Amino acid sequence: MNEILKTISIALKAMKKNKIRTSLTILGMVIGVASVIIVFSAGAGIESLIVSQIQSFGTDIIQTEIKIPSNKKGSDNSLGIVQGVQITSLNLDDLKDLNKLANIQNTYAGILGQEQLNYKNETKATTLMGVTASFIDIDKSEIDIGRFFTDAEDKSLAKVIILGNKIKNELFGNSDALGKFVKLNKTNYQIIGIMKERGAMLGMDFDEYAYIPLRTIQKRIMGVDHILYMTHGIYNTEIAENTAEEIREILRDNHNINNPDKDAALDDFRVTTMKEMMDMMGTITKYITLLLLAIIIISLIVGGVGVMNIMYVIVSERTSEIGLRKALGANKSNIMLQFLIESILVTFLSALLGIILGVIMSYLISIIATMNGFKEWEFIIPIKAYITAFLFSIISGLLFGVYPARKAAKLDPITALRK
Amino acid sequence: MLIKIQNLKKQYGEEELITKVLHGLSFTINQGEFISIMGPSGSGKSTLMHILGLLDRLTKGQYEFEGQDVSKLDDNQLAKLRNEKIGFVFQAFHLLPKTTVLENVMLPLAYSSDKKNHIAKAKKILESVDLGHRLNYYSNQISGGEKQRVAIARALVNNPSVIFADEPTGNLDSKSGKQVMELLQNLNDQGNTIILVTHETQTAEHANRIIQLKDGLIVNDSSVKNKRIAKNEKILVK
Repeated sequence: MNEILKTISIALKAMKKNKIRTSLTILGMVIGVASVIIVFSAGAGIESLIVSQIQSFGTDIIQTEIKIPSNKKGSDNSLGIVQGVQITSLNLDDLKDLNKLANIQNTYAGILGQEQLNYKNETKATTLMGVTASFIDIDKSEIDIGRFFTDAEDKSLAKVIILGNKIKNELFGNSDALGKFVKLNKTNYQIIGIMKERGAMLGMDFDEYAYIPLRTIQKRIMGVDHILYMTHGIYNTEIAENTAEEIREILRDNHNINNPDKDAALDDFRVTTMKEMMDMMGTITKYITLLLLAIIIISLIVGGVGVMNIMYVIVSERTSEIGLRKALGANKSNIMLQFLIESILVTFLSALLGIILGVIMSYLISIIATMNGFKEWEFIIPIKAYITAFLFSIISGLLFGVYPARKAAKLDPITALRK
Repeated sequence: MLIKIQNLKKQYGEEELITKVLHGLSFTINQGEFISIMGPSGSGKSTLMHILGLLDRLTKGQYEFEGQDVSKLDDNQLAKLRNEKIGFVFQAFHLLPKTTVLENVMLPLAYSSDKKNHIAKAKKILESVDLGHRLNYYSNQISGGEKQRVAIARALVNNPSVIFADEPTGNLDSKSGKQVMELLQNLNDQGNTIILVTHETQTAEHANRIIQLKDGLIVNDSSVKNKRIAKNEKILVK
């Protein structure tokens, strides 16, 4: 122990003696370690942001949406969409059947369309959300001014519209919009409500949506009978998985899908609980973090090679000292240990400085993110970030220090003394 | 008997590029002797010192150190023996830079199996070579003569059986050189075995016995009749 402390002291002296060289040596490692901390912290920050945004939709819901069935698991859904395949099997009859399930409190159905809204000379390209009246009870969106449409209005294909906050401002500015008419597909729709500002979540800007009754968009605008999705409000989130399975069974039955193995790939719909949604998002974040870490590890390896290079220079510079130590009784292990400890010390110091830098940078990133609208971004440095940084630094110190240390240990004392 | 070599041969290189340095040397050295190994450049005196000091291995022959056949020892065993039984004094001092006098003297103790009282031992030895006032000086803050005395103190700190001094006055002015030789002389008077390697006759004559080498062979091995320093001269070692 005493010898190790002595060796550490010798190594520290050597590092202090060559301040500039030491600084340059550790710089690469410091940046690498700081990046590890930042990536872990940003990963945790993004995850907290996503979780909080998903939770803002409500944890007591289940989502059912159309998808293109496939014979094998994979991404045929996106390919089908590109090829223009349309799934029209999901409809309001399904909604009626699903609403009979014990754990389902209520369901709203929806379909999306892209249309232009006109008011006087103002035109606005808008995402039209055709939804059933229960939307306002299940979704977290709220009415700011006026009201949402009723079930009766939906059934009577009423020409009413509720504007998102941004659309209202763009078309009407500060003037009152309630009761006025906007043109949609050359037809006038009366504005009966303005939504409360909600902001963007997971890439969707709710304030840029306009809401009209589902049947109105189906019959008057799109000429279809099907829906794209349903959102079910549930009573008990504990049994959400069971409810999701019940939904699948009913839909398979309704859509005549022969799927005895319950293979989700064969279905023409996808049922997702919020827990699954969060797990899925968590997995995506985890993979992105891992990918970034893999890139950073390459930079750390480059930093490690720098350390190895400098260790070779140090061994070369201190050849005479190695010869002397051997003459005075140091064996190969003593010399090897001395240079290994020195190498580990260099990388350990890099880890310490890198962690400090990484924590400061992560904190700044979280402040910048919060200031730029990502209020749910939390400043978190997971313990695994510190462990990874320290482990990697010590392992790279060992790995990249071992060859120079072996070179030192193998030096012939007589040749070394002559240097 | 401290050292016994028989038909010691040393060669470097392999096959066609062989350089033969020592051609079969035989002699013995007893405890307490002060021996000078002399010879011109290329005579093999340094090679002989390296082999005797266990820094190098012989090619052929036999070498017994305190009755032990050292040719059978591995590198770690040789390092241990060097640490415990042998002290080295080099022409270039070989003190660690940016390290204090005390730390330099303590260096062999770092590899010793005796883990106690390193500082006290080093201080005591430094006081015995009149460097008690230089303990915390850095090695670049002291004179050449003092540096060599530090090197001698370092050689003595593990209480070795023999001290090898390789041209110990080679880098010193005559006054400092004389002081260093007096110190070695006094150490010998106290019972320490000294083996001095030099090409200077004047320096060699401080020894009791001179082994002269030429072209890898012993050309003379005899006692010194005309010792330059009498035993009653100023004693530096207390």
